[in-house]
Amino acid sequence: MAVIEVKHLRKAYGEQEVLRDISFQVTAGEVIAVIGSSGSGKSTLLRCLIDLEQADGGSITAGGVVLMEDGHYRSKKEVRRATEKMGMVFQQFNLFPNLNVRDNLKLAPRLVKKERADALEERCARLLRKVGLAHKDTAYPALLSGGEQQRVAIARALMMEPELLLFDEPTSSLDPELTGEVLEVIRQLAAERMTMIVVTHEMGFAREAASRVIFMDQGRVAEEGSPAEVLDAPKQERTRLFLRSTLK
Amino acid sequence: MAYFTGILPFLLEGAKMTLFLWIMTLALSLPLGFLVSLLVRGRFRPLTWLMEIYIYIMRGTPLMLQLMFVYYGLPFIPVVGPWLRFNRLTAAIFAFALNYAAYFAEIFRGGFLAVPKGQYEACQVLSLSRPQTLTRVVIPQMIRVALPGITNETITLVKDTSLAYVIALAELMHGAKATVSRDSNPAAYVLAGLIYLVIVFAVTLVFKKLEARYRLREK
Repeated sequence: MAVIEVKHLRKAYGEQEVLRDISFQVTAGEVIAVIGSSGSGKSTLLRCLIDLEQADGGSITAGGVVLMEDGHYRSKKEVRRATEKMGMVFQQFNLFPNLNVRDNLKLAPRLVKKERADALEERCARLLRKVGLAHKDTAYPALLSGGEQQRVAIARALMMEPELLLFDEPTSSLDPELTGEVLEVIRQLAAERMTMIVVTHEMGFAREAASRVIFMDQGRVAEEGSPAEVLDAPKQERTRLFLRSTLK
Repeated sequence: MAYFTGILPFLLEGAKMTLFLWIMTLALSLPLGFLVSLLVRGRFRPLTWLMEIYIYIMRGTPLMLQLMFVYYGLPFIPVVGPWLRFNRLTAAIFAFALNYAAYFAEIFRGGFLAVPKGQYEACQVLSLSRPQTLTRVVIPQMIRVALPGITNETITLVKDTSLAYVIALAELMHGAKATVSRDSNPAAYVLAGLIYLVIVFAVTLVFKKLEARYRLREK
């Protein structure tokens, strides 16, 4: 079953087209790595899926709920119903600085899902253990390293029990020595068959953890396939050029 | 010394009025300023413009003129004038509250601008409603940024209350001036100055505590 289905998605900022006729679907358990040079539309695509940006045309269906069809958005309620089963992890973490780690995790499920306190407490403790930060549960975000903040952000997204988790360059604002701990958490989620779309510049991660790689170029899906197909034997010249430029 | 203790009770009466005016102005202008800052940020354009004009008038004309207008001027407005005849204290509270609300609105607005867009986006992807986003995430962060500016205005207000002497409200400055004229002795000014300093000292302490509390929550 498709967790999300995108058809002919288009978006432009004025004259500049950032998404041109994007179509793909993701089935449960898949891990999609979206790669491509900056400005290729990767982040915009992700942000359209969860309604942080308005697309201009095309259709998006998430978990069987139509978010937009042929360029027309459904009602606010429907859009919300379509996006509430998705979670998102940002490049800049976006933790709430006024709340400690535990309250960052519990705020949304407490207010939105109105769950019982003990159930929340239990899930919160379990997820903090999962990301290796059980000992930081009462710390405020300002005192955590970037890698720790991003792991808290992942745990916070998981608290809402999403069916699809979106990552927008989760390691791009981290110091190199901190990317490993964050990627390790995402790898672990992949092993547990969490459905994810990860916009990333980490080719090593894409190769190991992704079940499918989408290469975007100038707002289009230029190439798509298994990591071996796209990363090791690219068919398109542009993919080859991009991969060569990312080799260090 | 005997002279000082002699005039102290009278000046303290004035100080009581000063404090009352100060507290009433804060109690009204802080919520009002907050409301105005929300309306300025709102999506309903005409209301935004109206609020901007209000802020412009309040910040662009002297507070003393506003005081005199409220007390002496409003009753002359055709038709509604007779209902706008306030006693001195009410007129002072009314004028001060309107004026300070405009300044507080600007400070709150600055605080709102300091909350990054990513915070709103994080709330949205976590399915928080708009009111939840505002009360749980945005306002606590906005307050922290706005607090030093609020402290500053609050201290200024202690001294600005002395402007109410132009409508002959019996506050501290009015008392000092009357005492000096009656006794031909400027000592009352010195004493009034000391009383203002004591009040400002107390207010500063309270706000320092508040600021420290909001800072600590970050750590």
